[in-house]
Amino acid sequence: MTILGGCEFPDGLLYFVERTQMTWVRLEGDTVLVGLTDPAQTRAGKVLHVRIKAAGTARERGKPLATVESGKWAGPVMSPVSGVVSEPNPEVEKDPTLLNTDPYGKGWIARLKVTHPDEVNDLLRGEAALAKFREILERDNIHCVRCQS
Amino acid sequence: MTDPTTAPPDPEGKKILMIMTSGPEDPDKTYAPFYTAALMAAMEIDTTMYFLMHAPELLRRGAAERVPLKKGGNLKMFIDMARENGVKFLACAESCRDLCEIAEGDLLEGVQLVGSATLADLALDADSVISF
Repeated sequence: MTILGGCEFPDGLLYFVERTQMTWVRLEGDTVLVGLTDPAQTRAGKVLHVRIKAAGTARERGKPLATVESGKWAGPVMSPVSGVVSEPNPEVEKDPTLLNTDPYGKGWIARLKVTHPDEVNDLLRGEAALAKFREILERDNIHCVRCQS
Repeated sequence: MTDPTTAPPDPEGKKILMIMTSGPEDPDKTYAPFYTAALMAAMEIDTTMYFLMHAPELLRRGAAERVPLKKGGNLKMFIDMARENGVKFLACAESCRDLCEIAEGDLLEGVQLVGSATLADLALDADSVISF
């Protein structure tokens, strides 16, 4: 685990960081688990609603996988790779604050069956990911907080 | 009426036209439309906001920063969020000229000036029209 600006970045994850997107990806064979990073959930604020694409929905890389709204922020969670939604997380739909309180655990958003495995190579990892986050946290003056449910 | 126990149909590809008539004279009426439009665009709904009467004032360069919100901050972040998510902004040319006295060059980048006939076209073409 690395901590930058109070934001946690667990070891072993891949990251999709483009425009306003800051999501994490965990490789699980031919599927991936996707969720919001600590700075992403901090920027969103306490999440009030989340809507995830239904199982079976095909998503191209960069197309919305879910929408998140907090009252101060409303936006898409883009799919970090092309794939088919195999499992939206029903728990975060019932309790969206899991995105804030446990973003790398119970707050995962969806599981995708990857259709273009080569796209995984485009995700950031290790020191390259941390360098990118360091730049964003400084630029946008983000200091992570975990609101309570 | 939508049954809340079943998943709603995916709105991707639908078109919504949002008509905005309030300007900086009524700050409380400005935030929700931009927030809602931003959310709709994030849901992949083709979302257009049409600004008429005093609403184009909100699109004047530097104006949103001077519209305070009760929850703190100002309107600019919500306008930015809507644009970032892909909401299209159209301003009524007649309102800009006759009511607001805004020249095209004074509007935020990317705002398109259109005539009233365009409003009719957009309303007829949209799946739903929402007025604020």
